[in-house]
Amino acid sequence: MVISPRVTRRIRIVTAVIVGLVMSAPLLYMLAGSLMSNSQLSVQPPQYIPNSLHFGNYPAAFHGQTQVIQLRSFVNSVVFTVGAVGLQWALCISGGLVIAKMRFRSRGLITVLFAISLFIPLITTLIPTFVVTYKLGIINTYEGLILPIAAQTGFGSLLFRQYIKQLPEELFDAARIDGANWWLMLRRLVIPLARPATAAYLAISVLTAWNMYLWPLVAAEGGSLQVLTQTLANAGTSSLGQVTPQNVIYASVVIVTLPMIIVFLAVQPAFIRGLAGSGVD
Amino acid sequence: MSVTQLPDPLLVSLNTPAAPARPRRRRRDGRWAAVLVLPNMAMFTVFIVVPVLGGLYLSFTSWDITNGLPKWIGLTNYRQMFHDPAVWQASETTLKYIAFGVIPTMIISLWLAMLINFRFRFYTLVRSLYLIPAAMSFAASAVVWRYIFQDGPGYGILDFVISKFGVSNPPDWLASTTWALPALDIITIWLSLPIATILYLAALQRIPDSVIEASTLDGCGPVRRIRYIIWPGVRYMTPLVAIVALLSFTNGSFDLVNILTKGDPIGSTQTLIYYIYFESFGLGFWGYAAALSILQIVIIAGILLILRGLSSLVNRW
Repeated sequence: MVISPRVTRRIRIVTAVIVGLVMSAPLLYMLAGSLMSNSQLSVQPPQYIPNSLHFGNYPAAFHGQTQVIQLRSFVNSVVFTVGAVGLQWALCISGGLVIAKMRFRSRGLITVLFAISLFIPLITTLIPTFVVTYKLGIINTYEGLILPIAAQTGFGSLLFRQYIKQLPEELFDAARIDGANWWLMLRRLVIPLARPATAAYLAISVLTAWNMYLWPLVAAEGGSLQVLTQTLANAGTSSLGQVTPQNVIYASVVIVTLPMIIVFLAVQPAFIRGLAGSGVD
Repeated sequence: MSVTQLPDPLLVSLNTPAAPARPRRRRRDGRWAAVLVLPNMAMFTVFIVVPVLGGLYLSFTSWDITNGLPKWIGLTNYRQMFHDPAVWQASETTLKYIAFGVIPTMIISLWLAMLINFRFRFYTLVRSLYLIPAAMSFAASAVVWRYIFQDGPGYGILDFVISKFGVSNPPDWLASTTWALPALDIITIWLSLPIATILYLAALQRIPDSVIEASTLDGCGPVRRIRYIIWPGVRYMTPLVAIVALLSFTNGSFDLVNILTKGDPIGSTQTLIYYIYFESFGLGFWGYAAALSILQIVIIAGILLILRGLSSLVNRW
């Protein structure tokens, strides 16, 4: 039997769509559940389509007895993400330039240190990191939340190194002839030219910071510095059984995840380039 | 468009290429390099190098919640670790969790990448369906998947779906000693797939369509197409996919275990990473936890060495 190419193509498209729906099913189910009534969620067998839209679940996540999300933890997450990523970006782009283009003795050593650091999970250095942060007197402060994470410069520095390395040497020679020093070259040459690398870096590290759970859990023990991942983790797990209704918890997860989904969709090409190089679309 | 690529740490650490030889007088940038790299290195040293070395030191000390200062006790922690059945169990759990997670991630991601490696209307939209879980945190996923796995007769949506496929006795998932770890694997695989798929897709898109078409016209079946065209095109990417998946399984496992199972039922999901956290922040045995951390780092290093060996094998195959 011969199947015509057009039919094969149809089959491929349908398969791709169906598998894609399966892959995103947990997210779609969460979205549907966030709009259902609680009685619909407990129906057997389970249903996937809300029979009426309960947008009230969303404000319910913010106040009253069903509150999951404090406004404060939303602010904390934003401050933490912006602070850690912003500071880390500045450290990484300058560090990346240094190990990509400048000549000095310990360059190889620094590069290797960055690479090794990628494989040391934070949990294995959690106590000493906590001790250092504690000794600096910044546990339970924004600084204590941000600085140890901003210091994880290994990945970013290597990413910028990779990009800056292939900028033509002639550009730097020309700038040098014009009397520019390295600081000027960083500001006028590298930062503008490395914009694609910056986009890729931001896409990856904003997601990482927003989604980080372990360090805030330890560094913000007091509670007022709780970030959204902790808020979610604590939702609905009261020892007295589930107090928060399931639909409100779904709504809360949507609220917490939506900013990242928007960021992700907006920067998808940069994200993909950052991971896999250009030429992918 | 120039290429930004995920730095492949294995390559970086093993052959950092020297700057190309230049004919003219060698320039030295020592002073400027010091100025520009100083903030980075200072932070890196204070919050990464010092903690790593400090952790190494702590692993040779007895330091717990009852005594004020670390006291040097040599290899005692390591000896204790060797005789601690929980350590053996946690290491085994960790390796199982990684093996049953990383390998399926690699196979499924290659399959997904092949599924979407062609152009059609709404391609970008459909691709987003595959990639969007990447935006979700482990914590948020844990909350959603807890309901998906929920137990009770026919209660959780996953059990409902698999019962439709004829499974009459669906597992208890998170409440079962047999199924809790696979359940965590399923969540982590789901979260790791988008990035792995992107990496494989990048490799696939470098294979010209004409090559694949020609092979189809020559009557090349799917098995041979994968063996002789797809695989040679993507195998260079395989070690990187493995490393990225490995990192998400080591770094992310804590979040899931802590939120969903706390190592239970009966220690069946206690990975080494969670055991470290439990010993230190749970029980306050900081010296012992430091020794466990060194074990964890050694295990990761071991897996990386095996991967390096495998990747040179794979590249010849």
